Amino acid sequence: MLQVTHVRSLHSGGRRQQQEAVAVDSEPEPFSVFRTQESDPACHSETHIGQYYTLPSAHIRTLFPSGLPWRYQQQVKTFNEACIMVRQPSLEVISYLKKTDYSKPALRYLFYGQKGTGKTISLCHAVHFCYTQGWLVLHIPDAHQWVKNCKELLPSSYNASRFDQPLQATTWLRNFRLTNERFLSKIKTKHRYMWTKREFTEEGSLLGELVDQGISRVKSSSDVVGAVMKELRLQSGQPGSDFHLAVAVDGVNGLWGRSTIKKEDRSAVDPEELTLIYNLRKLMRNDWTGGAIIATLSQTGSLYTPKSAYLPQELLGERGFDSMDPFIPVSVPNYSEKEFESCYLYYMDRHWLQHPQSER
Amino acid sequence: WYAIALQTSLLSFVCRVFLVRWSRYNPYYLEPEVSKEAYSRPETELSAEEKEQRELKALRPIKAATSGVSSSVFDDPVISKFINMMMEHGNKVLAREIMTQTLENIKKKQVEKYHKASEGEREAIECNPYTIFHQALENCKPVVGLASIQKGGKYYQVPIPLTDNRRRFLAMKWMITECRDNKHRRTHMYEKLSQELLAAFGKEGNVMKKKYELHKMAEANRAYAHYRWW
Repeated sequence: MLQVTHVRSLHSGGRRQQQEAVAVDSEPEPFSVFRTQESDPACHSETHIGQYYTLPSAHIRTLFPSGLPWRYQQQVKTFNEACIMVRQPSLEVISYLKKTDYSKPALRYLFYGQKGTGKTISLCHAVHFCYTQGWLVLHIPDAHQWVKNCKELLPSSYNASRFDQPLQATTWLRNFRLTNERFLSKIKTKHRYMWTKREFTEEGSLLGELVDQGISRVKSSSDVVGAVMKELRLQSGQPGSDFHLAVAVDGVNGLWGRSTIKKEDRSAVDPEELTLIYNLRKLMRNDWTGGAIIATLSQTGSLYTPKSAYLPQELLGERGFDSMDPFIPVSVPNYSEKEFESCYLYYMDRHWLQHPQSER
Repeated sequence: WYAIALQTSLLSFVCRVFLVRWSRYNPYYLEPEVSKEAYSRPETELSAEEKEQRELKALRPIKAATSGVSSSVFDDPVISKFINMMMEHGNKVLAREIMTQTLENIKKKQVEKYHKASEGEREAIECNPYTIFHQALENCKPVVGLASIQKGGKYYQVPIPLTDNRRRFLAMKWMITECRDNKHRRTHMYEKLSQELLAAFGKEGNVMKKKYELHKMAEANRAYAHYRWW
């Protein structure tokens, strides 16, 4: 338990004292300067900037079966808890989400910034907020995984010129089923889908059945993904539906870039020829209402982009920028002095900084 | 080889990098002192010999420091030696990377154990990877070694005392060969090293077995100890 009195700050004590005073007022027991007891993202505000809040482990298992970055997952395993720092960019997006009018077309928020500044974690913070508000979350952990290292590529059954990726589609459907359990038995399909000559899904059947169909029949799973996206897009703004749709895509610049997947005659596949990418691009257009699209740019996983590129113009390219336009860019900077100190104290508390010099 | 390179350099072309360190320094040259603490001590704290040493250093020329040492707080001569021993084909970058990953891995495992343990057990768990590394190496150092001494036409394995440097070298060598040869092919070196170091810290594992076997052999050959003449 870190006592507030013996924490030494690197910079002036004026701001810290002010923050302490606020902390004492709102929480009866000041736990520490860098942690907050508020685990509900809806209640986070400017006063909590720089403080870590704990994500409940039940939420992590359902919300992020594979959504968190690998190094963060290892950190969660080591520290036995998942803490995210409340920062300005995600607070901004959450405040916009609270105030939007959901009868208007969906707004697109784009997190951009240098490598390693926290874009994915800000996205996860926003997604956690949507989940706690009871929205339906469509989370694509990394769009780049769909355009590279493809082990199986099948020609699409629906459209001869496109290609299917059964493995990626089935994993995504499984994660989707885990995240949105409660909606699967509530939403009904509005169209009739024919998978083969004998298998079809009737109009008015539950979304859960559609998802199970995709997981069991691996060959048509990419088409099922497309169908799910179409259904949710059509139904989300309607007066009858009671849910909001949150589309969260990490590495959105992969949708409009190039891919390393090769056809049998060794020519490169354009991302447009992949069913998953095609359907996801349709979802990214703002012609539907009743939700929001939150995306992140990423240079680390992207193909054929220079290492120094981080601005939306450079990473999305011409086609991407034109299709994403208009969007709300949110810049994610590096840690400020206060955030850095908070991070340092957190690591000291978790016994991660072991060197004797680190106490100074 | 380096001496010849120096001589030819005077005759033909001038090398871009003049290899000074391994050329035979004049014994007049003194070793460099890298740590900052040695210089920050005030005049009053030093004994007479240390004052003399300081004055000598002000007058005499000093050898160039190797690129492996630094005046950073994280610099450790034992760790540097271990990195040099792990290095293959001069790839110091890779050896250092493996070492940092090993230390991080050890810290991760220990911190995980720490957080999962109950209050009473927490004090016993050591989380600092440097102390674990040093302690593991200490546990692996053999006390006596064997030398092959010829007496009356036959060679006998005679127990002999070892210098500190030799003991340290043997401990590191055993650790590295054990990790390279006797582990599963597909695990990373840092994973193998961290497992072996943690086992040695707890006085178990293959390297400890090797040390105990050496001690047993030395104990068995105790009768020949008087064959040693130094």
